[in-house]
Amino acid sequence: MTANAEARAGASAAEGQDAERREVFQYALRRFGVYLFTLWAAITVAFFIFRLVPGDPMNILLGNLARAEGRQRDAEEEEALIAHFRQIFGMDEPLPNQYVNYLRKAILGGLDLGPSFVEYPTQTKDLVFRRMPWTIGIFTTSVLLAWIVGTGLGALIGWLQRSRLSKLAVVISTLLQITPVYLVALGLIIYVGYTWRILPAGGPYARHLQPEWTWEFISSLLTHAILPMLSNMIVIGAGFTLGMRALMISVLGEDYLTFARAKGLSPFTVLKDYAFRNALIPQVTALAIIVGATLNGTFIIEVLFQLPGLGTLFVQAMGLRDFNTMQAVVLFSIFAVLTLTLIVDLALPLLDPRVRRTA
Amino acid sequence: MPALLEIRGLTAGLQGQRAVTEVVSQVDLDVQAGEILGVVGESGCGKSTLAAAIMRLLLPPQVLQSGSMTLRLKDGKTYELLDLPEADLRQLRWRRLSYIPQGSMNSLNPVLRIERQMTDTLIQHGLSREEALRRSIAALELVNLEPRLLDSYPHELSGGMRQRVIIAAAVSMRPALIVADELTTALDVVTQRQILQELAAIRDELGATILIITHDMGVVAQIADRVAVMYAGKIAELGTVNGIFESPLHPYSQGLIGSIPREGGHRVEGLPGEAPSPWNYPAGCRFHTRCPHVIDRCRAQVPALLPQGDGTWAACHLYEPEVLSNA
Repeated sequence: MTANAEARAGASAAEGQDAERREVFQYALRRFGVYLFTLWAAITVAFFIFRLVPGDPMNILLGNLARAEGRQRDAEEEEALIAHFRQIFGMDEPLPNQYVNYLRKAILGGLDLGPSFVEYPTQTKDLVFRRMPWTIGIFTTSVLLAWIVGTGLGALIGWLQRSRLSKLAVVISTLLQITPVYLVALGLIIYVGYTWRILPAGGPYARHLQPEWTWEFISSLLTHAILPMLSNMIVIGAGFTLGMRALMISVLGEDYLTFARAKGLSPFTVLKDYAFRNALIPQVTALAIIVGATLNGTFIIEVLFQLPGLGTLFVQAMGLRDFNTMQAVVLFSIFAVLTLTLIVDLALPLLDPRVRRTA
Repeated sequence: MPALLEIRGLTAGLQGQRAVTEVVSQVDLDVQAGEILGVVGESGCGKSTLAAAIMRLLLPPQVLQSGSMTLRLKDGKTYELLDLPEADLRQLRWRRLSYIPQGSMNSLNPVLRIERQMTDTLIQHGLSREEALRRSIAALELVNLEPRLLDSYPHELSGGMRQRVIIAAAVSMRPALIVADELTTALDVVTQRQILQELAAIRDELGATILIITHDMGVVAQIADRVAVMYAGKIAELGTVNGIFESPLHPYSQGLIGSIPREGGHRVEGLPGEAPSPWNYPAGCRFHTRCPHVIDRCRAQVPALLPQGDGTWAACHLYEPEVLSNA
């Protein structure tokens, strides 16, 4: 090759890299647009759907007030109170205006989602931020752990598909996967928590403790987190195991696997670079899908284990028809799920060169 | 001179619920050093099973039932392929024995760059990274591909290029024997022709021996020195390309040659009937259900593969001495 030709080859290689970088950037940009749109659509649906739930929050509020004070107000007084509350909660205007105001305040007012009914006059935003760490902590940790364990286990039993132990593992995972998460949670609470008394099965930490940076508090926090996370992990992990096993088995039938073995590669290299690496790509997508589908399971777990997360908050808010809080919980859940999905989607091109072109 | 690869009594089948169904039965075949031997036959006649058995790449439910395969290398080393433990087999693969698989379109891992897929084996066989890279580049040049292809992913290459990459990978360690299973099937005729020419050139340059499995008589005619015609899991006839194309002995070979379109307005004559599947191979000569020259003993007795002079072997009762003397 002449020096000239070499230089040209170098230039075209650099151009190729530039093109690739541009494509990755465009992919990310497009993906981010979809993210924003989904977020908006979800907020809108949440806004209208909760207002379709029967029951006027004002009546419930007044009823509670009357019970607390032990006296009935006359009609005129009630009218005045309702008007006052409606104004506070921005419910005195027609629905379309409420919607526009809600969006305007949420976006331009720095996430001003109005006051909560549940803990009036606390701002909904503050309420959600206070509860969110519990949900995020339990949910993210358990889903990620379930994914890691399930992927590893699934890869292994897929690779050893013909062994007896693998077949047994498939039966067990299938049974666990179809068990509803609340049954698993109840089982753990009853047996591990109360009958055998191995681990605490209720509350976020021991009753006599205060949140502080001491070893006693942290260890109490962690032991209380084991059972809720385990409930989530068992069910989700079993699903991930079965999914990964199926992916491995289909990859094992691919021509490139036969070729890899024919090349004289060690079984470990074949497993790692040819089977596992390829089966991992759809498994990462599965993580993104499962993330959205399992958040509600976490809400149930929070209620069962009496954890002060978004799930328990949502149940409280539901009872009061607290639109502001319900919307905020939905908004933050969707935000969390979409963000995780976005991260996963943006990670895909790193794993699969084909996505960089076609997505 | 002893054969490079000596296959004796090779029988392989499919493991069913109760019994094993024989797919390849009692195959004897000698592959001579330096030759290109074509194995032709219809779909389902067991040629790919034979190739996989030679590479010891049979996967359940495929099972190897009996037989022996001896690989005799020029340096005097001899390997009994069927007795070799996995670890030794891995050492042998690629260094001595390579494989160009059927379905080459999907034989490259879609998520790894070509460089990784060519060099990983070389590195595991003890070469340094630089040496592995140098050899891969040299191998790519053998099949007229540019070295910068190493940076590509398989989906960025055309079918012909992928096939060439696979051939390059297969010859990168200068193996003594290359088993190529239907290597041109998915390609257009122009590319097919070029690739066969490249393969023949590689044989001349590396002194490799090539066993080429195909259903395409054209491929055999273009590249092979000798041909083994397979029918229903057995070798029907073995001979030189010229011998088999000019004067085929076995009625099945005659039928195959007769079904090739020719110049001059000859009518193409196909074989009547269909090839039997392994689940209902006929007793006696497996071809007797379709054979125009069938005699009584064909239905009862399995014909042996016997030498017929000029290096031709045929498994047909018609050429057995006592039948010939009766006629």
